[in-house]
Amino acid sequence: MISCREMQGLIQRFPSFENSFIGLEYAPRLPGAMVRETRELVAYARKFNEKVVRPNSLALDRLTHENPGYLPHDLMKTIADWGLYTMWVPKIFGGKGKNLPSAAAFMEELSSACVGIANVMGVTYLGLTSLLTSFNMRLTSRVLRDVIEGERSGRPRLIDFAITEPIAGTDAEDMDLVDRGRVITRAEKVNGGYLVNGRKVFISMGHVSEWTVFYAYTDLKKPSQTMIGLVVKNSARGFSVGRHEDKMGQRVCPASEIIFEDCFIPDDQVLIDGERIRKFTRKTPAEVMMRHIDLLASSSKAGVCAIGTGVARGALEDALKFASTTEVRGRLLINHQWAQGMLAEMYKNVVLGRLAYQEANYANCSRGVYDMLQMKPVFYYLKLMPPSYFRMLEPMLNGDLATWAMSKMYLDLKKQENIDCCAGMSALAKVAGTDIGMKNCQLAMDLMGEAGLRQANGMEKRLRDAKLLQIYEGSNQMNRLITFKGLIAPSVPQARVFEQ
Amino acid sequence: MISLMNDDAKSFEELALSFAARQLANRRESSDRYPFGPFDDTVLAKADELGFLGITVPEDLGGIGQGISTLCVVLEGICRTDASLGAVIFTHTLSQDIILRSGSVDLLCSPSSRGRLIACSAYSNPDEHKDPPRAEKGKKGYTLTGSAGYVVLAPIAAYALLPAKIPGQEGYSFFMVDLSQSGVKASEPVFSLGVHACPVADLALDGAEAELAGREGAGAAYFGEAAGVMSAAAAAMSLGIMRGSFDYALAYSNEREQGGCTIVNWSMIKTILADMAVQTRIGDMAVYGACSAIENRLPGWDIVAKSAALHVQDAACRVTTEGVQVLGGYGYMKDYGQEKRFRDAHQMKTLLGMAPLRKVELLDRINGK
Repeated sequence: MISCREMQGLIQRFPSFENSFIGLEYAPRLPGAMVRETRELVAYARKFNEKVVRPNSLALDRLTHENPGYLPHDLMKTIADWGLYTMWVPKIFGGKGKNLPSAAAFMEELSSACVGIANVMGVTYLGLTSLLTSFNMRLTSRVLRDVIEGERSGRPRLIDFAITEPIAGTDAEDMDLVDRGRVITRAEKVNGGYLVNGRKVFISMGHVSEWTVFYAYTDLKKPSQTMIGLVVKNSARGFSVGRHEDKMGQRVCPASEIIFEDCFIPDDQVLIDGERIRKFTRKTPAEVMMRHIDLLASSSKAGVCAIGTGVARGALEDALKFASTTEVRGRLLINHQWAQGMLAEMYKNVVLGRLAYQEANYANCSRGVYDMLQMKPVFYYLKLMPPSYFRMLEPMLNGDLATWAMSKMYLDLKKQENIDCCAGMSALAKVAGTDIGMKNCQLAMDLMGEAGLRQANGMEKRLRDAKLLQIYEGSNQMNRLITFKGLIAPSVPQARVFEQ
Repeated sequence: MISLMNDDAKSFEELALSFAARQLANRRESSDRYPFGPFDDTVLAKADELGFLGITVPEDLGGIGQGISTLCVVLEGICRTDASLGAVIFTHTLSQDIILRSGSVDLLCSPSSRGRLIACSAYSNPDEHKDPPRAEKGKKGYTLTGSAGYVVLAPIAAYALLPAKIPGQEGYSFFMVDLSQSGVKASEPVFSLGVHACPVADLALDGAEAELAGREGAGAAYFGEAAGVMSAAAAAMSLGIMRGSFDYALAYSNEREQGGCTIVNWSMIKTILADMAVQTRIGDMAVYGACSAIENRLPGWDIVAKSAALHVQDAACRVTTEGVQVLGGYGYMKDYGQEKRFRDAHQMKTLLGMAPLRKVELLDRINGK
């Protein structure tokens, strides 16, 4: 039919087969237990929604309007009681070690009931992912063990993640842009560590977290070359939280200003520094940081797509319930043909959103941030070995060996084309999922009319919540450019990204 | 509104804009705290002094006797800054318009009702409600029993104009109800998506005394005509919201730097702003077309006005969504007004009834049914 050589030439043409059928290629390598585990977690999420999220979501939203300073300590305690803050912490660090892609499915479920509560749980996993993609296993282990101890003691100790600055939002997220921006968080090298001054804004859960993973620059004039990742305990001297932002939605999950004033960070809390791990890699410091951000964002953006899909699904469920019980002009709304068309459109959007985050995570599993953990032998080894076994391995994490191995695997051995594909697919998914989240909310508002306007009916809250999804984890405009950079530009040599 | 610039309209536009700048801009965020903050009625009193609560009411009935164009320029100008007052004026004007069409002008200018706010269900077509209140005729007149949901202005109005069914009759009738009587119980203010400073409540009626507006069973006819005219006003409000959103986004884009230059220089942002500008200009034309058709009583004037409302209300939702997006995280915070415009635009989209049903009705009307 066709020769091997000819086939290779044809399937590598844009768009390549590898970038077009990611899930199909990954399917034979997918561990069967991952499906069972995900199914069980989805069921657990539905139970959590039934018992915790739905009974509290609207009352908490109303409470945050009555008292804009409300902080979700009680809710965090409940989430910890359900074991959710350690569910996806790898066993090697003492957690329950559920497969990381399943967190997206879990977030879809929670977001179908309340995005704000979903993020009170989910934000700490953004911090966790930033640790896991830092190649610094010693510090990762230290922080995650504290998180686990927090859950065990009933006093959650969470991780927030701080990159956005007052006048550098989009700029701070890409090494190609950061040198043109105006970052202000400076880390000055002093004896035994760094002295940090600066500010971060819109940091989810900043007011209530125990740890902050953040980025600073040793030279504000050369940020791409001098960016480092640091970890600080929020009780540290020189660290404080400022404004508690008055947001339109997702109000139960606080957005915080974080202020550093001569905040000393000891050397052992430097999470990632391209200069320091030069002994392990051929990459430049800027390349190391870009790889770290790409790996981190490939995971988190698939998660935000799942949140958008959850919002879209919640909107569909609200609209369906309303249409099934409301009579308009002599018959149930659900029997008006126009309403059926709208509901089908919303259902379609939900399915497409789910496919988008699944495909992005298949890319992460086969070619990106999850590939090592999702290999069948590694997956089953980690799943089946008892916790006591991993406790024995803990001392290994404190030496250079683990950091060397991670650096080699994710910096030097991983092909750039795989990183590009994962970054592009997750950015694409983020745009797709969050746009359909907004679209479904608007369709549901149209379908519900006056009833949709009441806060007590829930739909208007979904609309308010949904809008933020198009902004955080990189604006959708930025993510369109990353999609172009990762999936289109590599096949067009003359293409230049981030030029006006 | 550039398209409507005859001298009368221009002076009213200037009046509305200067009023909004002086009275609304600096208290928009605090007013929006309602119902969790106080209701500020000083603005209403000042709007009344300027005649904004009687724009289309004839002078001999206590209004300023202007047409739909004036109402539209005033609403558009006010809604650029804060749509809540626009929604108050709209709702009160809708009640007045229905009463004027019914011919029961006494309801507007009796000593007790003159100059008092009249609530109504501005966000729905009474046809959409399965169970309107029941009206019974007794020796002293009519009494209403049942519930009326989402009555706009009910927490602050003296009266409500409510649709009710008289048993044994087809259709519904409109009744004026004094909200201070014991047969009327208002709920706590309903916490809603947008225009928080245009309060809403649910009413429970138990033998509430009521006065009939016009003829029995003629409610749908009065509402249909009023909705036709007031569609232009609804479109003007959404136009004002989206113009406010565009103006603010453009100004912000000329100041905010990202990637080494102001974001207005990024071509992706330019195209977003250009789309916002296009929608605003088209909205302007649509409102102008609607006002012209209504004032000249052109054939199909109601089709023009209702089409304008459907188009501009939908465009305002898209434009204000982008208006938040251009500001990024700041656009989502209550300090900047863009998130309020987003909420207000989505709230306004439901004025005069569910948008999909209005589309179905519009096509039936075009199709001669």
